[in-house]
Amino acid sequence: MTTSPTLPTFQAKDFKSDLKPIWCPGCGDFGVVQAIYRALSAVGRPPHEIAFVSGIGCSSRIPGYTTAYGFNSVHGRALPIAQGIKLANPDLLVLVAGGDGDGFSIGGGHVPHAIRRNMDLTYIVMDNQIYGLTKGQLSPTSPKGLKTVTSEYGSLEEAVNPLLYVLAYGANFVAQGTPADMAGLADIIERAIRYPGFSFVNVQSPCVTFGEEEQQVKAHRANMKTLASVGHDATSRIAAMDLAQQYGRTLHTGVFYENPTPPTTMDGLVRERQQAQVGEAKPRARVLERFIQK
Amino acid sequence: MEKTRSVDFGALTLKDALDLATLVEEEAKDRYEELGDQMEIHHNPEAATFFRWMRRIESKHEDQLAMRRAELFGTAPRTVRREMIFDIEAPEYDEARAAMTVREALGAALRSEEKAFAFFDAAVSQVRDAAVRALFEELRADEAEHQRLVQAEIDKLPPDPLVRADDEGDEPVAQ
Repeated sequence: MTTSPTLPTFQAKDFKSDLKPIWCPGCGDFGVVQAIYRALSAVGRPPHEIAFVSGIGCSSRIPGYTTAYGFNSVHGRALPIAQGIKLANPDLLVLVAGGDGDGFSIGGGHVPHAIRRNMDLTYIVMDNQIYGLTKGQLSPTSPKGLKTVTSEYGSLEEAVNPLLYVLAYGANFVAQGTPADMAGLADIIERAIRYPGFSFVNVQSPCVTFGEEEQQVKAHRANMKTLASVGHDATSRIAAMDLAQQYGRTLHTGVFYENPTPPTTMDGLVRERQQAQVGEAKPRARVLERFIQK
Repeated sequence: MEKTRSVDFGALTLKDALDLATLVEEEAKDRYEELGDQMEIHHNPEAATFFRWMRRIESKHEDQLAMRRAELFGTAPRTVRREMIFDIEAPEYDEARAAMTVREALGAALRSEEKAFAFFDAAVSQVRDAAVRALFEELRADEAEHQRLVQAEIDKLPPDPLVRADDEGDEPVAQ
């Protein structure tokens, strides 16, 4: 009765830890973590072969709610830590998670470099357009004009557009989802994990406590448009950038861009170079000779 | 939104259908357990008690269906998986609120029963096997009865107070 009669080895519940989430009831992140469990089950790697790194914020609690190895690290520094982990152990499946503030404000400078290095990581940003954990300050993706405790008369700044940001820096897999469509979100995350190289998933994950009414899951359900329904060609970066400009006005979900010919990842290039240099390697006792002036 | 993934209703056997129905109840049971935990963490014992009561009911339904499946098909392997279904009878996560009243919690349960009814109603028109159709018609009728029972509970409650707990309380504590 199924399209794939062979049952995967792992079920979604195998990736769920015993730790109970303490997010506010109604938070979008509950749906995101469920979608991650399902995507991991479909990918089929055992929890001990997965490393999950996050920064700081409500959404950065996610690694603790999985059975993978987790590192709830430093604010904005999830990507450098994840790159180090991947470089040290390329066989690990490495996921990175955080909020829009963690990724595009505090850690904003790390995103372009993670993209240009193109290590095989999946970066999931839970974009709620607010700093929720610290009680509702303006965040990099807050819409212009938003009134918060730090913008009493309305924000004067334009919002960062995460989709356009990563597309402009050359990301080879860029997608957006919402917990209003769990099946779609699980599918997007699975595709991002399977993509060989740096992949980026922006999840519009509403803050139920400090978020605006039009950003809540009910509004997503009513207003979202799948990219398939608008006939988008996900192999065209230009078409993706064109659609991405509607961020903040139209909620498009699906894969914006997937480079059909993925370039070799940095971890792959490192391995290639190591293999090429095997013949030139010096015995351990003579390694220092390379650095000694004769 | 899609409620199932990779399920071909036209090819569903009775064993698959019973497994699918059992998983629908299991998903609802697990969600009510999660919601009960959320309410407890956020100091809302009344809503926590209600969601845990719903968990026991869904657990009973799950056991009844599993028993029926075991009687008919023994330990024949399952070909449907929990990962194929999405919030069929489980309340949506965004139904929950930290300071929700029991009336609001019952409202969430009622909408879940309505979702389950709509699911089986749509499935009936797609299945080809007569035994599967009969099962889904029975489950659809059960969901209609559950809606009636939940509505009866709502009708017994006094109206919610005009001032809500979240009108005067602080936001959730920083985590």
